[in-house]
Amino acid sequence: MSDDEGLVLTGASKHFGKVVALDRVDLAVRSGELLTILGPSGSGKTTLLRVVAGFERPDGGTVMLRGEDITWLAPAKRDIGMVFQNYALFPHMTVHGNVAFPLEMRRMKRAEILERVKWALNVVELDDYGERYPRQLSGGQQQRVALARAIVFNPRMLLLDEPFGALDRKLREQLQLEVKRLQRRLGLTALFVTHDQEEALVLSDRIAVMSAGRIAQLGEPQEIYARPASRFVADFIGESNLFEGEVCEAGGSFSVRCSATMTVHIGDVGAHPGERVSVLVRPERVKPLNGESDGARVAATAPPANTFAGTVSEVVYLGESEKLRITLEDGAEMLVRWHPEGRQRGARAGDALRVAFDAQDVHVIRGAA
Amino acid sequence: MSAAQRSAALRAHRGPVLLALPTIVFLLVLFAIPVARLMLLSVETGTLEPYEKALTDPLYLKVLLDTGKIALIVTVLCFMLGYPVAYFLTVAPRAWQVVGLFCLLMPFWTSILVRTYAWMVLLGRRGVVSETLLSLGIIDAPMTFLHSLPAVLVGMVHVLLPYLVFPVYAVMQRIDPNLMQAAHGLGAPGWRAFWRVYFPLTMPGVLSGASLVFILSMGFFITPVLLGGGRVMMIAVLIEQQVREFLNWEFAGALSATLLVFTLCVYAAFRRLMGADRQLV
Repeated sequence: MSDDEGLVLTGASKHFGKVVALDRVDLAVRSGELLTILGPSGSGKTTLLRVVAGFERPDGGTVMLRGEDITWLAPAKRDIGMVFQNYALFPHMTVHGNVAFPLEMRRMKRAEILERVKWALNVVELDDYGERYPRQLSGGQQQRVALARAIVFNPRMLLLDEPFGALDRKLREQLQLEVKRLQRRLGLTALFVTHDQEEALVLSDRIAVMSAGRIAQLGEPQEIYARPASRFVADFIGESNLFEGEVCEAGGSFSVRCSATMTVHIGDVGAHPGERVSVLVRPERVKPLNGESDGARVAATAPPANTFAGTVSEVVYLGESEKLRITLEDGAEMLVRWHPEGRQRGARAGDALRVAFDAQDVHVIRGAA
Repeated sequence: MSAAQRSAALRAHRGPVLLALPTIVFLLVLFAIPVARLMLLSVETGTLEPYEKALTDPLYLKVLLDTGKIALIVTVLCFMLGYPVAYFLTVAPRAWQVVGLFCLLMPFWTSILVRTYAWMVLLGRRGVVSETLLSLGIIDAPMTFLHSLPAVLVGMVHVLLPYLVFPVYAVMQRIDPNLMQAAHGLGAPGWRAFWRVYFPLTMPGVLSGASLVFILSMGFFITPVLLGGGRVMMIAVLIEQQVREFLNWEFAGALSATLLVFTLCVYAAFRRLMGADRQLV
C-alpha cells in the first residue's frame, strides 16, 4: 500500500494572528484507514480538519491526497465527504434531496442519481425516509442522512468533525460502530476528529494525539494506551496514576524513588540511574489486597512487586466495577479500579487498604513532559 | 367544563385582553370607525353607482392598474438593491455593520415629508444631479428630473428599502454558516451553492419584506404627489383629489374600498406563498 493512495500532510502550519493553530504538522493517513485526531479544545484538531477540507489555507506546508497536491484546491473540487457535528443538513430539501445534492452538483443523470441515493440510504438503513424533511427526523437519523450524503458520491476520503457530540451515549456508541463498519465495508480513508478519548480508542486504526498545534503521539490505540510517550498523552487517554521520581539501581533491579516513602519498582527499560522520569500505572492494574493470602501471593512474584498502604478516601460505584481513590502515606493519591466478585464486600471510605501492582505493569515515561 | 375550570380559563385570558384593550380601543375609534364611515358614505346615495364608476370606467381602472404596476416595480427595485445590503450587513465585520445599520436607520427615522422635499431639491432644475451632469458636459442646459415616474420611483424606493432589508437581514442572521460550507464541500462552487442553498433559505424573509413593500407602495401619497407633480396618478392621489377638489365623498369611499379589497387580496396571496415556506427552520 503506497502512501500515494492516502492523505499526506507535510509541514502544515496555520496561525491566526499570534495564535499558532498548527505547528509544522506531518501526518500520513493510509488508504482505507480510519485515523483519529484526538485532542483537547484548542489543540488544533479542528484547524487541521478544515485545512484538509479546504476551508482554511495553510500558511505553510502541503496537503496531498492520492498523490495530488490539493493544498490550494477549492473545497468544491476536492471530492471529500464531510460530516459535521450539527449535521448541516439542508432544511429546505427532503432526505432524498439532501443525499442527491452532491450528485446533482456533479451533473449525473437522473436515473443514476436515483440509484445511488437508494444505495446510500440503504447503507445507512434509512431506505424509506426519502421523502421526509430533516426536521422530522431524530438526531441519530439526521446524522445517518449526513453520512449517506457524504458517501453517496464515492469520495476520495471522509472527514468527520466530532459527529456524535450532540447525541446521547447509547446512540453515540451505536453510531460509532455503524460508522466503523461502513468505513471498513467501503474501504474509505477516513479522518475523524474528537476530544472523546473513549471514542478514539473504539474507532481508530491509529490515533494521533494533538496538543498545541503539534502531534504529541501517533500510533495504534493499544500503543497509545499502554505506552504513552509523554505525561500529556498519559493523562489525556484513560485514567492514570502518574508519579515523578529519580531512577535508582540496586543489584540489577531498577526502581524510581518518588518520595521519602514511595519507591516504585520497574522493569529494565534502559533507564539510567539518576535520570528523572515519570511512571504510569493504569488503575485497573492496581489490585487491592484482601488479607494474608493475597499478601503471600504477591510477595512470591518476581521481580519485586509494588505494595503500598493507604486509606480509601472515595469510592465510586460504576456498576460493573468500582473506582477507589486511595491516599498513600506521603499524601499521594492512587486510583484503583477493581471488580468486587460475587458478594464480596466493596470497599468503603475510611477503610485501610493495601494495594499492589507488578513492576511489569509500570510504564516509564522518559524525557520532558 | 366545570364552573371552576371556566373561571380559571377566564382568569387566564384576562391579562392579555386587558393589555390589548387600549390598543383595540385606539384603533377602533381613530381608525376602524372612520374608515367604515368612509365606506358607508360610498353607499349612502342608495345605489352602487360610485362602485360602478370605480370599477368599470377605463380611466379609473387605469389608475388602479398603474398603481399596481408602480408598486410592483418599486418592490422589485427594493429587492435588487436591498438583498445585497442585507447580505453585507450579515457578513460584514462589526464596524461596517454599525455603519451600515446607521445608514439604513437614520433616513428611516426621518420624516417622509422632509425626505421627499430633499429629493425635490436634489432632482430639481438647480439640484445636485442637474449641476453635476452640466459640469460633466452630458447636458448643455440645466434640466429637472422631477415630475416624472423615475423621480417617484427613486423617492419611493428610498423610503421603502428598510422594509425589505430588515426582514431579509433577520432571516439571514439565522442561517447556519455550516450549511454553505457543507454545500461547498459537497461540490457546489460559489454561485451554485448560493442559488441552491442560501437563496431558498432566505425566501421567507424576502417574501415578508416584499409583501410589506408592495402593500405600502399601493397606498403611497406624498411621494407621487410631490415628485410626480400630477403626472404620476396613483390611487391614493386620486382619492385625495376626489375629496379635496370635487368633494365627491361617495366616489372617494368607493375607491378606498376598492383599494382595501385589492390590498387584502394581495396580502392573502403573499400569506399563501409564505405559508408554504413557513415550515422551514
